[in-house]
Amino acid sequence: MTPLDTFRFAWRALRDNRMRSGLTMLGVIIGVAAVVAAVAVGQGAAASVTNSVGQLGNNLLYIVPANPRLGPGEPSGLTQTLKPSDAEAILARCANTVSRVCPMVRSSVLVKAGNQNWRTTVNGATPSFLVVNNFTISLGRQLNQSDEDARSRVVVLGKTVVESLFGSKNANCVGLEVALNRVRFKVVGVLGEKGTNTFGENQDDMVLIPLNTALYRVLNQKHVSAISVECRSSDTIDLAQEQIISLLRRRHRLSPPFPDNDDFTVLSQAQLLKIMQTITGVLTILLASIAGISLTVGGIGIMNIMLVSVTERTREIGIRKALGATEANIRAQFLIESALLSIAGGILGVLFGGGIALIAARISKWNITPTLESVLLAVGVSAGIGIFFGYWPARKAAKLHPIEALRRE
Amino acid sequence: MSLITLRDIRKIYRMGDQEVRALDGVDLTVGDGEFVAIMGPSGSGKSTLMHILGCLDAPTSGTYHLAGEEVSAMDDIELARIRNRMIGFVFQSFNLLPSYTALENVELPMVYGGIPNRRKRAEVALERVGLANRMDHRPNELSGGQQQRVAIARAIAGEPRILFADEPTGNVSTQMGEEIMQIFQELSDQGITIALVTHEAHIARHALRLVQVQDGHIVADSPIRRRILAREWLETPENLTTGILEL
Repeated sequence: MTPLDTFRFAWRALRDNRMRSGLTMLGVIIGVAAVVAAVAVGQGAAASVTNSVGQLGNNLLYIVPANPRLGPGEPSGLTQTLKPSDAEAILARCANTVSRVCPMVRSSVLVKAGNQNWRTTVNGATPSFLVVNNFTISLGRQLNQSDEDARSRVVVLGKTVVESLFGSKNANCVGLEVALNRVRFKVVGVLGEKGTNTFGENQDDMVLIPLNTALYRVLNQKHVSAISVECRSSDTIDLAQEQIISLLRRRHRLSPPFPDNDDFTVLSQAQLLKIMQTITGVLTILLASIAGISLTVGGIGIMNIMLVSVTERTREIGIRKALGATEANIRAQFLIESALLSIAGGILGVLFGGGIALIAARISKWNITPTLESVLLAVGVSAGIGIFFGYWPARKAAKLHPIEALRRE
Repeated sequence: MSLITLRDIRKIYRMGDQEVRALDGVDLTVGDGEFVAIMGPSGSGKSTLMHILGCLDAPTSGTYHLAGEEVSAMDDIELARIRNRMIGFVFQSFNLLPSYTALENVELPMVYGGIPNRRKRAEVALERVGLANRMDHRPNELSGGQQQRVAIARAIAGEPRILFADEPTGNVSTQMGEEIMQIFQELSDQGITIALVTHEAHIARHALRLVQVQDGHIVADSPIRRRILAREWLETPENLTTGILEL
């Protein structure tokens, strides 16, 4: 008997039990699809994070408030330790390493134009905001220092806000009036479109107003949410970081031990990248292990069905043995059956998982592509699972005694 | 020349504490071209004997030579080869694969044997048993008699030297049983060796030699004197109503 004959017998048996074969494959399909999609999404997320953190520029530092009692995870809105004067001091005292500073506040705000309402994020920041964060102006003008000094009620809108309030992204709204938490503002410009950032946040869904206006006319507070610092060179970024830390410790009159008693955190791009990569790495491992578990469950499903199949087909096995099939013939047929199930399941799972990855790519706008490695791994593993979990049932079938097998109904 | 030689064959089953001696010292010699009927009541050991002869079961002790080879010393692969090449088997319950067509069922043993032209051979065998127009039917589309004829075609397609039949007429009508016996007699006339197990005297009388088994022993072994020829029997329709017991 040739291997092709064995293959034909196996194929025939699977075809004769279409429903069962399909359901058995489903376990593997889901497992493999999960692996392929999880790895693709995980790697897409990692690539996206690396890319967008990279885009921030490697000469930026971020200073965020921290509560020494609670650690850096504390929501910055509740920690009131950074002031606009800190930013001015940094620019003045660290001028050899720092080129620009941008103190800013963030808050949620209700924007109104006519009878249209839109809840969005308001960023109050100094004019350097646009340069430091790579924003552009698509319409009108940007905010300037005289707006800042006069605490002017002027606003620059993001594209999403324009679309929500005026019906179209390209609506010319410069010169119109909008209300931010019932305070009337004049629209002076529209930001260029930027898309989603690292954290999945739509960067076009925000409005920008002068920092002083935000602090004194909208939010009534004295502290800022963060200070972005642009350094003169990426080579001196470590030096800048040290200077800023010691400056702020002095200004805030902090006493050792450090960094435990620091009421702020200075993050560089490299540190942000490291944190984000750790997060996405953990995410990928988590997704992959869930996927791996479901693949194993799929494999056990195959074993289960093959065992049932051997019991149910005892008589068929008896007939085949009586007609001259050797143990090896029977074992090969059952092994090929389970391998076929898992390989077919693996291939369908790759297609299915690839589809999920593509949909995820559409939604997240991340660059998600199923990698060849994950495809080969998933198909290889599923074939391995088919043979591994199929071996015991196949052996059981092969060892059946012809007479006892024939007696079974 | 003897094709089959059994020497002191014993088959002992253990059922709990009890020892069941299904075969208890059987000696039997069957020559090439013989047509032997093995008869005996239920539990006499005739089916066990048939399974051992057909290499489906191994004896507990004793020696079995088939065409000069010692079967009792063979491993799984050699036994499979003997069953495949040397032996054709016809069962009482047909034992066809339900999802395979008649033709595919007949091809099956030849697939395991790696025999060339198996489609052609299978067609010839099915024509031989009168099922040329039923080749693509599945077993559940065939009558019992037709299924048994497919099984006979399957047994003879690979041209074995011996045909073993275990109650081949047990599950079919009298008429069909007679037609099946006619095929056996024709095969016997062509020189193939046949051993047939039955508990019906009428069926046994189609053979040439009768071996009677009881309690694991051969109790009688003689030629059949008044042999029934199936062809003649079928030409006499009133035969179908004979054999009714009148009390």
